[in-house]
Amino acid sequence: MGILVNKDSKVIVQGMTGREGASHSRAMKEFGTQVVAGVTPGKGGMDFEGWPIYNSVAEAKEATGANVSIIFVPPAGAADAVLEAAHAGIPLVILITEGVPTVDMMRAVQEVKMLDAQSRESGGEGVRLIGGNCPGLVTNGEAKVGIMPNKIYTKPGRIGLISRSGTLTYEAAKLLNDAGMGTSTTVGIGGDPVIGTTFADVLPMFEADEGTDAIVVIGEIGGADEEAAAEYIKHNMKKPVVAFISGRSAPAGKRMGHAGAIIMGNVGTPESKLAAFADANVPVADTMPEIIDLVKAALSK
Amino acid sequence: MKLHEYQGKEILRQFGVNVQEGRIAKTPDEVRQIARDYGDAVVVKAQVHVGGRGKAGGVKFSPTPDKAYENGEKILGMDIKGLTVNKVLVTKAVDIDAGVEYYIGMIVDRNVQSFTLMASAEGGVDIEEVAAETPEKIVHYRVDPITGLRPYEARDVAIRAGFKGNLNKIADMMVKLSQAALARDAVLVEINPLFVDASGTPLALDTKFEIDDNAMYRHKDLADWREMEAEHPLEIEASKYGFAYVKLDDGNVGVLGNGAGIVMTSLDVVNRAGAKPANFLDIGGGAKAEIVYNAVKLVSKDTDVKAIFINIFGGITRADEVAKGVIQALQDGILTKPVRMRIAGTAEEEAKALLAEVNSPLIQMYPNMFDAAAEAAKEANAASAAASGKTVENK
Repeated sequence: MGILVNKDSKVIVQGMTGREGASHSRAMKEFGTQVVAGVTPGKGGMDFEGWPIYNSVAEAKEATGANVSIIFVPPAGAADAVLEAAHAGIPLVILITEGVPTVDMMRAVQEVKMLDAQSRESGGEGVRLIGGNCPGLVTNGEAKVGIMPNKIYTKPGRIGLISRSGTLTYEAAKLLNDAGMGTSTTVGIGGDPVIGTTFADVLPMFEADEGTDAIVVIGEIGGADEEAAAEYIKHNMKKPVVAFISGRSAPAGKRMGHAGAIIMGNVGTPESKLAAFADANVPVADTMPEIIDLVKAALSK
Repeated sequence: MKLHEYQGKEILRQFGVNVQEGRIAKTPDEVRQIARDYGDAVVVKAQVHVGGRGKAGGVKFSPTPDKAYENGEKILGMDIKGLTVNKVLVTKAVDIDAGVEYYIGMIVDRNVQSFTLMASAEGGVDIEEVAAETPEKIVHYRVDPITGLRPYEARDVAIRAGFKGNLNKIADMMVKLSQAALARDAVLVEINPLFVDASGTPLALDTKFEIDDNAMYRHKDLADWREMEAEHPLEIEASKYGFAYVKLDDGNVGVLGNGAGIVMTSLDVVNRAGAKPANFLDIGGGAKAEIVYNAVKLVSKDTDVKAIFINIFGGITRADEVAKGVIQALQDGILTKPVRMRIAGTAEEEAKALLAEVNSPLIQMYPNMFDAAAEAAKEANAASAAASGKTVENK
């Protein structure tokens, strides 16, 4: 069980022949993911460590039946790579690239949403973009479509994990793993201001997933995605949710590494996020290890 | 990248926005000359990257060229919130009472995954104050990032905001603002005040313009506008190494880690341990010894830093590479402050062995981030206390 990806997912890698694309293709294969092909425009027909390379996503999909694409294309071409995959009919597109211009992301996200609506209206399964600037997805014991270290996912479990940060995703997954609980699916949604999928988009999937008992949400300062998640949880969720917010001591007006991690005026403050989670009865861990205690407490209720 | 008022105006002018005429001066003589050329009252405006320059005395009305010279003398070289004024914009003065002042702006809004256009008839004041006190006086409208703002949409927003004057001309200015924002990858662009004169014609009197750093690669013509002197020297050095570095005020613990999330959390952990972080430094993933060496070198240069907390979660980053970088810094005499670090994951044992070999009290490794942060905080606070003790004695 789990959400979005599983052992049957057929994955293509856009930008496979680049340094990042190559090393992560190997790591995904090692994890057990069905990586079926790579796409690098101009290198079609090449064999790359046993994988066929195609010039376009459409060709790769036609030849392999791929239903997931992961993108390692550099920032200037990243939004175009997203649109190529979406127009080729790939239902799940994961953008790892960091540093994509925000205007490019606005346009790509809007177009993907339009394609998604069109696909659903005509009975298709829709199109979803995850990221950019994200670590990707892992359904423990089944498939990894991302860049997380393989060895922190040794124990499949029943806790869902959603995070804006890459490294904190690893921390949390490892803590859950070491505590003997393990994870179902991990979703890294990304640290940019405009992203394809938000907390509130992922929560209903976990609520409906039979393989997930509780959800951990790892947010950070900036924006109001945590507030939107709290609103959704308050009105719609029966499964327990535990939250963590990083950057609580960061000063306003300074961008903390992630393009989206900035307090602007009174938007994006930790106080607002804490208040929203309190209102939704979502316990917030003060430290990462406390997440484990709160999840245990929530599950024993 | 934040632009100065005159730079923001230059971009808006390129997109056809009617902008108040002005010229840049670097000396009081130049200020007087510009005022003489205009043959009219002028306003002398400090060009610095901080808000509230008016309140700080950085904007002055000057009825005569001699008064303009005097004001230029006062403002040039002035210190506004830690930044020295090196240039002023001299613009023709406008009789504000002969018209009205409005506000228009566009900002990246993650909640609508696009730009939001804001318009308010309450111009000429800080829009954040309007937003806090009378939010109903600001009209918000999502701009389609593919088409940009269309004239009919602009007219609708202008009407809803209660703008009086030539509706078509005002809407046209809003459309051009949207074109500039999209084409120049703005994060934020404001015209405030947007002055509408008695004939109904709109004129941009002041602007704010900030460009998306991720998009600077396609605005090479604006690269020269980046002012190194306006940034912290350590931030400039960090950008050479490709680090995400932010200098933080009143701190005593240098903080570095691999990933924005882990570093943000490290700041929180240092705070909880009773000390204050002096910086944010993300060295990125897969960091080799040389990168760690450069990071330690950078943080060590900060005289505020009394101890260093390193927090690494090793996925692709190897603990022994981190240890090698820190040890090299020690051996080269660059590292003179205590380093307390937590490195979890890959090659942890190798790292421990390397540190045992060096056996320096300056470098200690801990099994979790809380112990490492607590030790770094203890060292830093002790050093800070000793330093302030000395200062007291000297007085």
